[in-house]
Amino acid sequence: MKEAGERAGCLEAWLYNHADAARRSFRRRMDAPGQTLIMIAVLGFILALPAYLWLLLESARALSANIDHEPRIALYLDDADAEALADAAARIVALPGVAQVTPIGADEALDEYRASLPDPALLNWLEDNPLPAIIEVVPLERTPEAIAALEARLAGLLPEATRVSDHEWVRQLQALHAAGQRVLLVVAGLLALGVTLILAVAAASELRERREEIAISRITGATDRFLRRPSLYGGLLLGLSGGVFSLLLLGAGVMLTRAPVEAAASVFGLPLVFAAPEARVGLILVGAGLVLGWIGARLGSGAALRD
Amino acid sequence: MIRLQRVTKRFDGGSEALSNVSLRVDAGALAFLTGPSGAGKSTLLRLIARLERPTRGRIMVNGRDLETLPRGEVPQFRRGIGLVFQDHRLLFDRPVHANVALPLEILGYRRTEARKRVRAALDKVGLLQKEGAQPQTLSAGEQQRVGIARAIVHRPALLLADEPTGNLDPRLSREIMQLFLDFNRVGVTALIASHNLELISGLGKPILHLENGKLEARHVTESRSTG
Repeated sequence: MKEAGERAGCLEAWLYNHADAARRSFRRRMDAPGQTLIMIAVLGFILALPAYLWLLLESARALSANIDHEPRIALYLDDADAEALADAAARIVALPGVAQVTPIGADEALDEYRASLPDPALLNWLEDNPLPAIIEVVPLERTPEAIAALEARLAGLLPEATRVSDHEWVRQLQALHAAGQRVLLVVAGLLALGVTLILAVAAASELRERREEIAISRITGATDRFLRRPSLYGGLLLGLSGGVFSLLLLGAGVMLTRAPVEAAASVFGLPLVFAAPEARVGLILVGAGLVLGWIGARLGSGAALRD
Repeated sequence: MIRLQRVTKRFDGGSEALSNVSLRVDAGALAFLTGPSGAGKSTLLRLIARLERPTRGRIMVNGRDLETLPRGEVPQFRRGIGLVFQDHRLLFDRPVHANVALPLEILGYRRTEARKRVRAALDKVGLLQKEGAQPQTLSAGEQQRVGIARAIVHRPALLLADEPTGNLDPRLSREIMQLFLDFNRVGVTALIASHNLELISGLGKPILHLENGKLEARHVTESRSTG
């Protein structure tokens, strides 16, 4: 049937087939530049949007980590004499998750208060010291979970004490961040699905245009893999271009919005830094483009070849 | 090369295209398949190329039992067959040489080697000077010859042709048939469906008569004898 040496070796033939499919696929894109550019633009926008949101969220997360704030839990103890206060402080020190314990007696607190007033004599009319004794506790860990756990332990140890924790705003920020991350995940997932479907439809319609060629090729012994290959390369090519374009869009987006976003944060007294995308973000975007491009083309070509 | 044992093909509508057909064509033989239109000639060729599957019976081609041939091996099996259609089925979006090169692309031939083979095949059918032409600028006879070049370019062991001279005048028809005889002379097994009895009866090759899906059991050997 075939003379030895005329046909390329198995691996070489396979490589040649791939190179040929890639070349054909590239030529096909070049033959319809308008359509190709629209696809790349759509892909770029869809990939850039979640990446932009992610950068914003990361900047906000960096904010809560950067602020040098030591959370404290204050325990207010009414009618505790010096001995009871020292005893309570000693029991708290023994609890797990405690970094530092500072007992402040009621008299000491009154002295501090008096010292802070413009005229210390203002308090002379008081018959009794109305201030409670205070124990300030600094937790070992700053996560909301660790702080909440310590608070629960303190409540068990000193149920009569009134507890005030100042880490509430950190918790709020972190809760917002967690919610933001979830929203981002859902949005990114939906957009990825959208991109995949767009690419699948494009690949399927391209294969339908090649219907006659595919019929003849099949009769001549083409496998589905062979017939699908140009579409897969097309998907990868679009994905790669879309990923690179999304990176450009992201850079431009950050540059255009950095000043107003940072200004808005500073109005709230937050030292937010809207960071430019790192190399890692670029790799993720290009990688996502390639993966989605391949999956979309695979789905679309699979459906078209089954028809 | 080809062996059919009591093959029946019934289509979904209930009509029986082939009834209990048995046939044997040895390697290196050439046979013509004739009969009125609707007799089942095309169906028989499609069954041999495994473009259709029989309702009953067994088909062996090139040593492969088509009943047990796994789906994944069908492309490989078809690469050993060259198919010629009455309507040529050329791709009009590419020039002649690219049409002929299609089987070689599928087989992964190097570009330079493919080019050489395409030119050899076109030379064989007398169309070397038309290699860069668009198929729509060619006459019906030339288009058919491009289809034949495409069917033989990868040097298949078996050539199946379905009414290859259907639309051609007598002179062109004789030329086309002569091409098949030439291929057969170099060892290609061929089964050619044609209703042009006048043309094929003068070629000294066995003729199989198919009528209403029925064929007298035949054994076609390489030497012209039948029996």
